[in-house]
Amino acid sequence: MRLLALALEDFRNLAAVDLCPGPRVTIAVGSNGQGKTNLLEAVYFLATLKPLRAGRLAELVRFGADRARVSGRFELKGAERQISVEVSQGAKAAFVDGKRAATLEDYFGGVSVVAFTPDDLATVKGGPDDRRRLVDRAVFNRFPAFLEESRAYARALKNRNRLLRDRTGGAVQEAFDATLCRAAARVWTRRLALLAELAPRTAKAFEAIGRTAAPAELNYRAAHLSLDLARASEAERAAALAEALAARLPRDVERGFTSVGPHADDLEVRLGSRLARAYASQGQQRALVLAWKVAEIENLRAALGYLPLLLLDDVSSELDPERNAYLMAYLADSGAQVFLSTTDASLVKRAAGPDTRWLTVQAGVVSSLAGP
Amino acid sequence: MTPDPLNRLVAELAKLPGIGEKTAQRLAFHILRAPPEYARDLSKAVLEVVEKVRLCSRCFALTEADLCPLCLDPRRDESALCVVEGIADQMAIEKTREFKGRYHVLHGVLSPLDGVGPDQLRLKELLTRLEDGRVEEVIVATNPDIEGEATALYLTRLLKPMGLKVSRIAQGLPMGGDLEFADPATLARALSGRREL
Ligand SMILES: Nc1ncnc2c1ncn2[C@@H]1O[C@H](COP(=O)(O)OP(=O)(O)O)[C@@H](O)[C@H]1O
Ligand SMILES: [Mg+2]
Ligand SMILES: [Zn+2]
Repeated sequence: MRLLALALEDFRNLAAVDLCPGPRVTIAVGSNGQGKTNLLEAVYFLATLKPLRAGRLAELVRFGADRARVSGRFELKGAERQISVEVSQGAKAAFVDGKRAATLEDYFGGVSVVAFTPDDLATVKGGPDDRRRLVDRAVFNRFPAFLEESRAYARALKNRNRLLRDRTGGAVQEAFDATLCRAAARVWTRRLALLAELAPRTAKAFEAIGRTAAPAELNYRAAHLSLDLARASEAERAAALAEALAARLPRDVERGFTSVGPHADDLEVRLGSRLARAYASQGQQRALVLAWKVAEIENLRAALGYLPLLLLDDVSSELDPERNAYLMAYLADSGAQVFLSTTDASLVKRAAGPDTRWLTVQAGVVSSLAGP
Repeated sequence: MTPDPLNRLVAELAKLPGIGEKTAQRLAFHILRAPPEYARDLSKAVLEVVEKVRLCSRCFALTEADLCPLCLDPRRDESALCVVEGIADQMAIEKTREFKGRYHVLHGVLSPLDGVGPDQLRLKELLTRLEDGRVEEVIVATNPDIEGEATALYLTRLLKPMGLKVSRIAQGLPMGGDLEFADPATLARALSGRREL
């Protein structure tokens, strides 16, 4: 999979960009606030239809403009496809070869992207929601059906919470509980399948960069559930949730909120017997996230047969020199198509080769650079 | 300045689902330019649809009389009843000519987020209908989304204790549709529901 050409119109502070990325590495250099992250976000948005940074779609449209547009020519499994996304009036529309794509899924089947941002580096230390997002982003890439499945779960959850607040109870509550359990079991199945693949790969990558004797361990922690989810069947998972929902019903009615289910879970990260969140150094925590990302890329390569598109937003300045060197060497050797942004070209030089495309970003204008 | 009657027509047309201001304008101009009989026929058709079409008092499908043709047709199997969300679903199933039984239109599904509970659906009427014991099997054909599934479960719990056979239409891939165009979630469901040949 390759992005052959990229064009932007009125995307954040980038008024007009037209460029051909490098076959492998493309590096955007510029000082802070110039639009480097915006450029990477455009690629992410094109490939996932989701904004990279949380927020409303309308924020993607350049101030004063009424429509943002990102389009790209991709080489996918030997064929070239023109994909474009537009945002106007807070809504998005996607097109594949000029034809409106009816479902986003048409699209996800083909393009996958792994993004790595300074925010990701804080995941180990952050809240459970940060870690769930890290997991779910990887699940979306690995299992395209998860997009629809996670939406179904979110909708079932909203319905149930409404019933709790309205104190509906009775048979209607039971019907929605059962529906929630099924949708939840599916989400668990996906997350656990992903972790079964990713945990050993992450441990292996951490061994190479962690400079830590203790091994990295990842465990899925289902809130308020005694069942060992990983060993259970999907039906058993649904049944366990039904039991927990029933047991916690009085409390949940009181709070007007469902307290158990995939939305309340956490990814537990350990270094040996210790919780990384509490005991790992900042350097170790960042190395853990780096290991996760490398594992995700390698896992996609194994599962899809091709490498995802990689976006690295200014992470080099946040890693210590040795781990940054590892990452740059990994990128150079991986053969993946990579977009890097940096304030300091010397930090990413190791990832560059003769075919690297160097860009500068200044006040929303992207231009070519002969080399740093 | 456009004349007021034209503005009024545009405004009324624009209230229709899927019709924006521009399309409404185009439709209005079309009506204006067409021979006057067209406008008369159109307005008559619009009026008749609200004056003459009502809901069947038994199955709540559309009808001109008290009971719809399907409820009156003696060739229909009265032991099988297909429960659907809306008229469009009934029409879709009827088009297949596969189903020989009768229908019951709920006019919606349970949807807490939209404030729809059992009382907003034609559920009491369904239960009343089932009292005479002629129906043996109820086929629940609500959509396979969260609300449709929850409604199906709700119905199952309500009807099973009455000694009825309750079944749910199968989910999977549309026939004739290309596998390659099916969305991943549908394909995943179809795969997990596979059967041995
Ligand atoms: N919708 C928008 N329209 C115009 N400018 C925007 C929009 N959204 C963000 N910006 C601007 O983009 C700049 C930040 O760009 P960013 O890509 O984050 O910089 P960096 O080069 O540091 O990564 C800020 O000046 C911000 O005001
Ligand atoms: Mg930035
Ligand atoms: Zn009828």
